[in-house]
Amino acid sequence: MGRYFRRRLLTAIPVFFGITILVFCMLNLAQGSILDLMGEGSGATDADRSALAASLGLDQPLPQRYLSWLGGLLRGDLGNSYANGKPVAGLIAQRVGPSLLLTGTGVALAVAIALPLGVLAAAQPRSGWDRTASALSLISFGVPGFFLCLAGIFLFSVTLGWLPANGMYAAGRFSGLADLLRHLILPAGVVCLSSVGELVKQTRAACLETLGEDYIRTARAKGLTERAVMVRHAFRGSLIPVLTTILSHIPHILGGSVVVEQVFGWPGMGSLLFSGISGRDYTVVMGVTVVIALTVLLTNLLLDLVYGLVDPRVRYGKG
Amino acid sequence: MKRLIALLMAAVFALGLTACGGEKETAEQVTVRYGLSNAWDSLMPYNSPSGSNYTRIICDKIYDRLAYVHADGTLDPRGAKSWESTDDGMAVLFHLDEKAAFHDGTPVTAQHWADTIALITNPDCPALGRGTFSVLAGTDSNGCAVAGEQLGAEAVDEYTLKLTFKSPTAPEDFLLDKNRELYVLPTHLLADTDPADIMELELWSAPVGSGPCKFVEEIPGSQLVLDINKDYQLGCPDFDQLVITVIDKSNLLSSLISGDLDYYAFGGNLSMDDAETAKAGGIEVLEGEVPNTFYELMLNCETIPSAEVRRAIDLALDKEALCLQSTHGLGEPTATDVTPGTEYTCALTWQRDVEEAKTLLEQGGYDGRTYTLACTSNRSGLAALMQQELAEVGMNVTIETVDSAALFSGMADGKYDMAIASHTPGALPLWFTESRLSESNNIFHIADLEPYTYYIDQIKSSSGWETRQVMLDKLQELLADQRPFIPLWFGRTLHAQSPTVDNIDYPSSSFSNENIWAWRMKEA
Amino acid sequence: MGRSPWARFRADRRAMVCLYLLCAELLAVLLLPPLLGLEPNVSDLEAGFWALPSAEHPLGTDDVGRDLLARLLSGGQVSLFIGLSSAAISTALGVPLGLLAGYRRGAWEFWIMRLADIFQTFPSIVLVLCLVTVVGPAALNIVLVLGLLGWTGIARLVYGNTLAVREREYVLAARALGARTGTILRRNILPNVISPVWCSIPLRAGRAILSESSLSFLGFGIRAPQASWGSMIQYASNLTVLTGRPWVWLPPGLCIILTVLCLAGIGDGLRDALDPRFDGGRP
Repeated sequence: MGRYFRRRLLTAIPVFFGITILVFCMLNLAQGSILDLMGEGSGATDADRSALAASLGLDQPLPQRYLSWLGGLLRGDLGNSYANGKPVAGLIAQRVGPSLLLTGTGVALAVAIALPLGVLAAAQPRSGWDRTASALSLISFGVPGFFLCLAGIFLFSVTLGWLPANGMYAAGRFSGLADLLRHLILPAGVVCLSSVGELVKQTRAACLETLGEDYIRTARAKGLTERAVMVRHAFRGSLIPVLTTILSHIPHILGGSVVVEQVFGWPGMGSLLFSGISGRDYTVVMGVTVVIALTVLLTNLLLDLVYGLVDPRVRYGKG
Repeated sequence: MKRLIALLMAAVFALGLTACGGEKETAEQVTVRYGLSNAWDSLMPYNSPSGSNYTRIICDKIYDRLAYVHADGTLDPRGAKSWESTDDGMAVLFHLDEKAAFHDGTPVTAQHWADTIALITNPDCPALGRGTFSVLAGTDSNGCAVAGEQLGAEAVDEYTLKLTFKSPTAPEDFLLDKNRELYVLPTHLLADTDPADIMELELWSAPVGSGPCKFVEEIPGSQLVLDINKDYQLGCPDFDQLVITVIDKSNLLSSLISGDLDYYAFGGNLSMDDAETAKAGGIEVLEGEVPNTFYELMLNCETIPSAEVRRAIDLALDKEALCLQSTHGLGEPTATDVTPGTEYTCALTWQRDVEEAKTLLEQGGYDGRTYTLACTSNRSGLAALMQQELAEVGMNVTIETVDSAALFSGMADGKYDMAIASHTPGALPLWFTESRLSESNNIFHIADLEPYTYYIDQIKSSSGWETRQVMLDKLQELLADQRPFIPLWFGRTLHAQSPTVDNIDYPSSSFSNENIWAWRMKEA
Repeated sequence: MGRSPWARFRADRRAMVCLYLLCAELLAVLLLPPLLGLEPNVSDLEAGFWALPSAEHPLGTDDVGRDLLARLLSGGQVSLFIGLSSAAISTALGVPLGLLAGYRRGAWEFWIMRLADIFQTFPSIVLVLCLVTVVGPAALNIVLVLGLLGWTGIARLVYGNTLAVREREYVLAARALGARTGTILRRNILPNVISPVWCSIPLRAGRAILSESSLSFLGFGIRAPQASWGSMIQYASNLTVLTGRPWVWLPPGLCIILTVLCLAGIGDGLRDALDPRFDGGRP
């Protein structure tokens, strides 16, 4: 038991360093640097540029910059934004809440739709439910996220006038739950729609797999009603694989929210990342990607440890 | 298990809600929602790496400037009530508005203005964009104060600011050129700080200015909440708060139609193609009268060294078609950078001549190499059209779509051979050429700037309109002969009128200033 | 059931329809432009910009006066190229790495799987976006980036199955007979672990096509004047085109959906055909 935990923790360490090296190298090898931004109209001179470069530490060799960045990261200091000089950790902290709210609601909605639909689709193949599941997966897979956003805005904001087309609050700050929820519906709906397909598919597959297991046959043989078999056994048996799917999709859902947050002007991590990329504010981009990656790493680690605690088979089964 | 999931969801939801931090209920306030397609960077106007118009239009709200520049080049008082030329044109006296005050209540005096300029030109201060001040006496070409020399910015009395220049400068010319870069900082709050540490101050995350709006709170890169400064010297609008949100440009018009925005920058600009959609959505559309964009094709004279080849490119382009593609009929092709409708003119005309272009290419020794044409992604259609037209005369071009910062820096580095750029035209005869045909910003990579700078200096130092016009004609002839850049067209724009706010001076927004103090809510 | 996988696949009507549709699509985008003499990059200034559909331009023209049908077809070449070749690159990388990790174990296993862990902690679009800004947007670069980043999923699949197979009798026997590792991997292990990979390739191709569309929206798509379905559907980000000119964005949108649908159908068919446990999802 202890050995499994130790080993699992040890494997996380190289992954952690790998993540930091990858992020750092990728962004530092990028062609353009922040200095390019001091372009036309900024009135910047070469002297300005080299002064900025020196103040940002861009004149030091790459390994040294990596080590100082890593040292900062371990202390919770992600450096300052090139663009506005603010601490990146603070910028991210401001964005975590809205991001969590948006993706959390979107995924919760998706799960609420995908679980029952997936089970029903598995229980009654080729029924209306199965077809609905396929159609939903198709929209979810085949329609680009930005299109869902714009079509949603056109339909619900411009034409029907039911929902607000942008932002998080009508008046710039919190003024009641109802206002927030109204602003949440459209973007969360898009997040939901773009992740629901994968979840339905996985739930259906997991249920089908469980339906083939011996204990289901036993349950059927015992004379339980089909409903009871589905709800009590098949559904429960497929929960773990489905949950694993949900968790392993979190990075993709976060990635998908870049477009959603950008279009709706939602003040989350995705729009922070995008403005970082388009403004070449590499400390921000590095900060956001590293935070996302480390969150995923940590979630996976915790999940594995919990599995290991609950299910002894895991401790021996995994490499 | 079900309970676990429910609990998990509730936890995420609650966490999200609390983190979105709505603690205080505000009293019933009238809010105007303002959309912007790109983020500003710094709220300290002299610390913006991009120096972009997005930052300028934000600083325009928080800080005060000397004057208000209209789209047609006329000026209105703002921080200064009036101005006059003195010392034979070498200096300008600005008579400041005594009613102006910072948001902390301190009156704005001439000393604030002089101290601001002294601070920013101080070589120890890590200020960006101080090149603006290089026109002042006592500074070097980078805008740094020269030790031992008298800086050309001083407070004559409490409300009179005197700026002294290196060469004779009319106050109007100075303001048209520099007003959007010149803000007054609350120097009384900076007195105890070493100039080298100015940018580190906490002050810039909750800035105090003397502009028409007061800072309330900010989510950097996404949202800015401003209160109206009810004591602003020019008056105040009849709403209480301005909320500026960054939204993708694809959602700006939709949000205006659906009533989720009251206005978007710059000036609610709208292409001709979208006019019908806006009208169908109940938005009134107004046509701008003065040109607010100037399109040019920048050329790299180092990689395209032959003037014949550069002229051939000019002759190969069908400016009429390009202009139509881009402006949908709201533009005029041009052969020069002199803005139409100003007091200066240029008689040059343009034409497309494929045969002549081919001959010139041959004369210029074009060897069939492929040139790189850079453009921003929203202009890739335009670039594709140019590519076809150049192919027609036998010139090969590949298109590189980049963001605008990379475009300008790539041109400066010589990475690209040509690039499509647009600018906000000015009323001055040298609005375009002076800064670009100079040693410090030789973006066209001209080997010998001497002939150009000769005429530029002549124009700058002559005072009468007539001599200036004569010299300008000579400069334009030289440009037409050498073609370091190709003027394409002057375009106008449409302005989507705010359905809720009246009295907005839409066109002037392209000069990075807005008359927010005069905005009025429409009767519901 | 003793039928071969191919026979089972052929018996799957849905999968076959998908396969035929995809082949038809491929033939159309490859053959129609030269047959009809369509020029995707030439403006017809007489027809004008945003011309309505007409006999001459069945889908109208775009903002530069180029024929939209021609661009739809040549865009299809680009999109299908991006989808299929990036999936191929991912497979070519993922299969050997997964095999090595699963068969050699030890240090190989540790480093390869840790590398996979590293890549999988990032949202793919974020990595792709960052890398494309580094290497510059162009169809080939997008293929390489999507392909190089997509290996982890496939490597994991292969790795898991190799672990299960490596202790089987026939592998042990081969090893005891002194067969070289390469031979064992190729002859004994690969055929037994490859079937789930076949099913995941079509899905991957579909996703790559969509990733390119997201990249285009964020401004990092393919190089002008090339077209792709993903970049053509961007026209819909303008409200006027979205509401007033559906013929501009609907065809590329439908093509993407149809392609993803076909690829998914083929993937499902392959899964059912190769894995006898699944009987087309009909227990």
